[in-house]
Amino acid sequence: MPSDSNSSSSDSDDGNPNSNAGNIDQSLDAIENQLASITMSSRSPTTTFDEEEEVVEEEEEEEEQLLDQLRITNGSLNEKLGAEGVVDSVDDDYVESISKAESSGVIKESSSSVWRNASEADEAEAPLTPSSSGYAGERGSSSGGDEINDDDDEIGEVENDGVSGSHEWVSGKRHPNEDDASVSWRKRKKHFFMLSHSGKPIYSRYGDEHKLAGFSATLQAIISFVENGGDRVKLVRAGKHQVVFLVKGPIYLVCISCTEEPYESLKGQLELLYGQMIVILTKSINRCFEKNPKFDMTSLLGGTDAVFSSLIHSFSWNPATFLHAYSCLPLAHATRQAAGAILQDTAGSGILFALLMCKHKVISLVGAQKASLHPDDILLLSNFVMSSESFRTSESFSPICLPRYNAMAFLYAYVHYFDVDTYLILLTTSSDSFYHLKDSRIRIEAVLLKSNVLSEVQRSLVDGGMHIQDLPVDPASRPATVSSHLGQPRPAADSPGRNRDTFVGIGGPDGLWHFIYRSIYLDQYVSSEFSSPINSSRQQKRLYRAYQRLYASMHDQGSGPHKTQFRRDENYVLLCWVTQDFELYAAFDPLADKALAIKTCNRVCHWVKDVENEIFLLGASPFSW
Amino acid sequence: MGCSASVPEKNTTGRLGGLNPDNGGANDTKNLRVKLVLLGDSGVGKSCIVLRFVRGQFDPTSKVTVGASFLCQTIALQDSTTVKFEIWDTAGQERYAALAPLYYRGAAVAVVVYDITSPESFAKAQYWVKELQKHGSPDIVMALVGNKADLHEKREVSVQDGIDYAEKNGMFFIETSAKTADNINQLFEEIAKRLPRPSTS
Ligand SMILES: Nc1nc2c(ncn2[C@@H]2O[C@H](COP(=O)(O)OP(=O)(O)O)[C@@H](O)[C@H]2O)c(=O)[nH]1
Ligand SMILES: [Mg+2]
Repeated sequence: MPSDSNSSSSDSDDGNPNSNAGNIDQSLDAIENQLASITMSSRSPTTTFDEEEEVVEEEEEEEEQLLDQLRITNGSLNEKLGAEGVVDSVDDDYVESISKAESSGVIKESSSSVWRNASEADEAEAPLTPSSSGYAGERGSSSGGDEINDDDDEIGEVENDGVSGSHEWVSGKRHPNEDDASVSWRKRKKHFFMLSHSGKPIYSRYGDEHKLAGFSATLQAIISFVENGGDRVKLVRAGKHQVVFLVKGPIYLVCISCTEEPYESLKGQLELLYGQMIVILTKSINRCFEKNPKFDMTSLLGGTDAVFSSLIHSFSWNPATFLHAYSCLPLAHATRQAAGAILQDTAGSGILFALLMCKHKVISLVGAQKASLHPDDILLLSNFVMSSESFRTSESFSPICLPRYNAMAFLYAYVHYFDVDTYLILLTTSSDSFYHLKDSRIRIEAVLLKSNVLSEVQRSLVDGGMHIQDLPVDPASRPATVSSHLGQPRPAADSPGRNRDTFVGIGGPDGLWHFIYRSIYLDQYVSSEFSSPINSSRQQKRLYRAYQRLYASMHDQGSGPHKTQFRRDENYVLLCWVTQDFELYAAFDPLADKALAIKTCNRVCHWVKDVENEIFLLGASPFSW
Repeated sequence: MGCSASVPEKNTTGRLGGLNPDNGGANDTKNLRVKLVLLGDSGVGKSCIVLRFVRGQFDPTSKVTVGASFLCQTIALQDSTTVKFEIWDTAGQERYAALAPLYYRGAAVAVVVYDITSPESFAKAQYWVKELQKHGSPDIVMALVGNKADLHEKREVSVQDGIDYAEKNGMFFIETSAKTADNINQLFEEIAKRLPRPSTS
């Protein structure tokens, strides 16, 4: 394998490779070598497995897309927008630490420059021909196509005896036998680590934590090296890899990724990972490190791999992870009210929060008095419950911490599944109120059954939600009192879930493919159901990544209250509209007409307003009790 | 629903407070209700034992318990008394060790489980026995269970070691297999027989 010690700077914009090499600490050398070898191995031309070759192609494909984003231009709705506010997405802090550390690998966060370049280009709406990207052809030649693997953060499913069409996501730690010397480990596209400030491994997404002690020590060395200089490392760039660091007291979190997600997104993911650890152990874990800096935390997290890997998996399919909002299961207003009423009845009598959930969506939730529940806590709590299989087996009572509510203390959670999807969580501060909570659940269950809430929930799972094909034609011409309803019968071909037909070129009206609407006051969002042509989970993930990038660029500091963004690439037209009340993210056919797309977005907003009492939990905003 | 008694519940007074059935001492002579807690290292098969006993099932795919699960099962004895077990299946992980008293406090029965293929789990069982002797109810009925008896070719804890330790500590000893169902019902029947009966006076 050719030695490519400079790979860490080969595609950086403003790194200054080796200009001050004499100042570079050994630890920096060490991590650069480690990172460089990861980078090299992911580019290695000498792969042996077919699957790995596929991965290399995929990565090239992604790179190609990026280049296209540079080439293909967007027009902005409003000339002022787009270019401003998305440029300096990484704070000066880290740029400072770069120059202090003299690390050749540290550069500005890349995707922001992509955006800037794209919006600076003056050629509007370049013609899109297949040859302008070369992308379509490449996709055709990659053997897996869209069907490969729903989690393409990792290399192809080497151990899966070639079942390439399988979309089943397996929970729990995968590839536990790997370590940093394994070729496969180095090829993973997205690593997550937790380690202690003394360098002891706490968690690794791939591979056995204990075998990664050396690698952890290296990460620890670079963090403490920079920290001692009064700075904090936040981002290192090594070739195509971004290394994002987050320091939380005695606990360090690191993400190494070549997925081209914005720095802010990766940092947000590390925050959630930390929050998930707090859910399990509370922040009082810090005291263990005060007593013993070399404290080994791994044993305390025994049996929780599935919780973390399911959270990390959700980074690629659950928009709640970057929107910091929760979503509700669509239900008739009366049904949701019935559920809310019985929860409200029981809350207060020693119950702090009562949540009725269906999968990761809220059916209803109430809190005692002024207690408020943060959307991130809902995400972490439901992830914890859903990824811990034992809750499905029988009713349970478990200590649990809500990091945004009170990171220092345990609450006690009574968890009960009514059916495979629907579960109730009752949270209390009192460790001995199990029987009381159990009795409450029995009362709640009786009411839910009597008012058919549980069967309505099942019905919503089958045909609920906003289907773009149902976007009302002209809401402006209808009297405002006539409201449309969701879940009306539609042709079987449009049935929800993953629509697998290969019918391309369809979508909703005027080329609308998908949208997400986030209500600022409610802390909730609604996402349209996926339909053709966003069929495969891989396409869905790509769209979410695009939204995520859009979200990051819209939430840079220094931006005004009203913003819009319109960009076009070979995959979609993306339109984003941020006001004080809501944020709308919409994806259209790449050939969609801009004026029509804007009109359609207005229709979507009207539609959401029309059906808001079915898709949102109203009058019970966690922040307005 | 977690708790489906096969026998109608006589006592339906509201329960308040505590992880204990309110009427721990108020059983009538024919229908006993007891709180039982399972303790032991993670992975020794506590959950499998309970699910075998309560549902007659064995699921080899490991489902790590979080916190503690609550299940009930009622058995009828030959003298026509019934015993309703309210079972706390604890997680056994280190992070919950400090919270264990939450589950064993007030328990009438403690079943301490180890895995006959794991000496470490046997040591952990002894830790739990000591903990219960210090902090459990004074008249607690304790059983020592060596599980995974079907794996006898991998046995690392001898039957005699189990018997000896149990005898020294006034415990009832049995080896079980949740996988083959061997001795599972016997375990709970033996416990039921040893329960102190409310006096008939
Ligand atoms: N061979 C064998 N395996 C068992 C037996 N009981 C449990 N297991 C296995 O041991 C593992 C842990 O069981 P579990 O009940 O979750 O242990 P717990 O942590 O003590 O609740 C599972 O993979 C079970 O399949 C048994 O009697 N025989
Ligand atoms: Mg268990």
